Amino acid sequence: MGLAAQKRVRTIISYCILGFWSFILLFPMYWVVITSFKNAIDMSIKATYMPFIDFQPGLHAWRYLFVDRLTWFLDPFMNSVLVAFISSTVALVIGSSAGYALARFDYGGRNNSIVLGFMSQRMFPGALFILAFLVMFRELGLLDTRLALIIVYSSGAIPFIVWVMRDFFEGLPVEIEESAMIDGANRLGVLFRIAMPLAAPGLVAVFVLSLIGAWNEYLVALTLTFREAITIPLFMTMQVSQTGYTEWWNMSAISLVSVIPVVAAGMALEKYITGGLTFGALKG
Amino acid sequence: MATEPQIYPSKRFRFEIKDNLWKWIFLVPAVAIILILLAVPVLWTLYAAFTDLHLYRIGDFDTKFVGLANFEKLLSNRSFWRTARNTVVFMLGVVPAQLIIGLTVALALNNITRGQKLFRTWFLMPLMVSPVVVSFIVGRMLFQEDIGPINDILRSFGFEGVPWLTSPTWAMVALMAIDVWQWSSFMILMLLAALQGVPPDLHEAARVDGANQLQAFWRITVPLIMPITMTALLIRIIDAFKVVEIIMVLTGGGPGQATESVTLAIYRTGVKGGDLAFGSSQAYFLLIVLMIFGGAYLFLTRRAMGKD
Repeated sequence: MGLAAQKRVRTIISYCILGFWSFILLFPMYWVVITSFKNAIDMSIKATYMPFIDFQPGLHAWRYLFVDRLTWFLDPFMNSVLVAFISSTVALVIGSSAGYALARFDYGGRNNSIVLGFMSQRMFPGALFILAFLVMFRELGLLDTRLALIIVYSSGAIPFIVWVMRDFFEGLPVEIEESAMIDGANRLGVLFRIAMPLAAPGLVAVFVLSLIGAWNEYLVALTLTFREAITIPLFMTMQVSQTGYTEWWNMSAISLVSVIPVVAAGMALEKYITGGLTFGALKG
Repeated sequence: MATEPQIYPSKRFRFEIKDNLWKWIFLVPAVAIILILLAVPVLWTLYAAFTDLHLYRIGDFDTKFVGLANFEKLLSNRSFWRTARNTVVFMLGVVPAQLIIGLTVALALNNITRGQKLFRTWFLMPLMVSPVVVSFIVGRMLFQEDIGPINDILRSFGFEGVPWLTSPTWAMVALMAIDVWQWSSFMILMLLAALQGVPPDLHEAARVDGANQLQAFWRITVPLIMPITMTALLIRIIDAFKVVEIIMVLTGGGPGQATESVTLAIYRTGVKGGDLAFGSSQAYFLLIVLMIFGGAYLFLTRRAMGKD
């Protein structure tokens, strides 16, 4: 077999592998989409696979979600939106300022140790925090509030943001900032008018990653909230246990509503997100 | 820069004082938040692990130090060892599977040019989905025993339906499948990044020198992607040790205690049961295991790679 033929065989095998894995990833998503259009009858006897052929799709689950029970669904949805956006914004401002400071100032030669100190938090299992958080927020009277989740999620996102953004700011040329300061700008102006715009790709990546992290978080939300401040993942599991796992179509519709925004954002910003996700390991 | 102070000496001076202030204004909020919200819980949990603290008795003055009693209780507790065993089994099931899938798919992805970006974007999808939703969709719906598609397909090929959620063994397999579905993508993207760092001409040169495809892979590609692979593996191992959400949604730790992980046990005893002291000792046990394991792993891999 010649080299060209060998290469062609390898390419074909590669596409087969990629196609197979894509299918594995696609099938559950396909399933949840068609299930959200199914009726009870389509799920009572045997599995049905193809809309219009196996079963007649209907919109009742979507009507249930967006018309009949909209208010009931809207509360956790708004909780998730508010908690995710506010906590990520707070974490972005505080974390990237610290990242900038660690890139531009000298803290007695201990800059690397400070960054490592931030990162050590990632070693700790979440289980270590939930008990203390439960007691802390109970004493503060903040149980079942969005504020409690915002505080926890921003503090959880800060170390990662500091770590990534410090590296990002270090890669930016310092001369522009220097000349701006000679022209009379102060550090705050330099950070927000010069450094941050230049670091926009990094900021977008860490912001979206914290957004997704907060949007999907479950364990802390389960520990700290139970009625007023529940987020979508918690709302979903509550529905599942209330309905005894049988209203598949409604659950599918809720799943899709909760998944589509973050998956769309993540995939649209693929380049930055992959960079942010693989950043740590590529550096270490 | 050097000429500046001579022209405006006083202004320059003021400017530096102000800049010195910004140095602290930028850093202190982040440090303060991390100290309060990360260090305090870690220390508080350590304290709790040595007391008889209970959620429903907080504020009483009779919280006492019990020394190592919680840890003694832990080590002699069969239920705890059961959850520890489950966690290790889970980790040993998912991490190798993710490594194999990750390497296979990453090699395939590195081998093609057309459509690479498309596949890469699509493979990112599972990482964006919450574990709760993944466990619901992949676990509860696909592995549903009566009308789920997996059993349905098995039956149409003449097999028996598998009792995915009612058999202890199969429930663990289903949980592993969920984790593999979600996190193989992480290995794929990491290993792809590693593979793209291998200079192609190195590979070519080895082929020209008479090495076959396999030899070139083992001698050139593998050593070069080893550092990233090892880091990716460590991240996945630590995450697998912390598994909890997918179990809560799919099995709740059942049947019996067959799929309960350490973190789920901590939640059950500490948050649900209110036994903060015993929960804290379990959390610290997990932390100590992770630190010893992580430390040993880093030490051994660094040494092994240093010797190569």
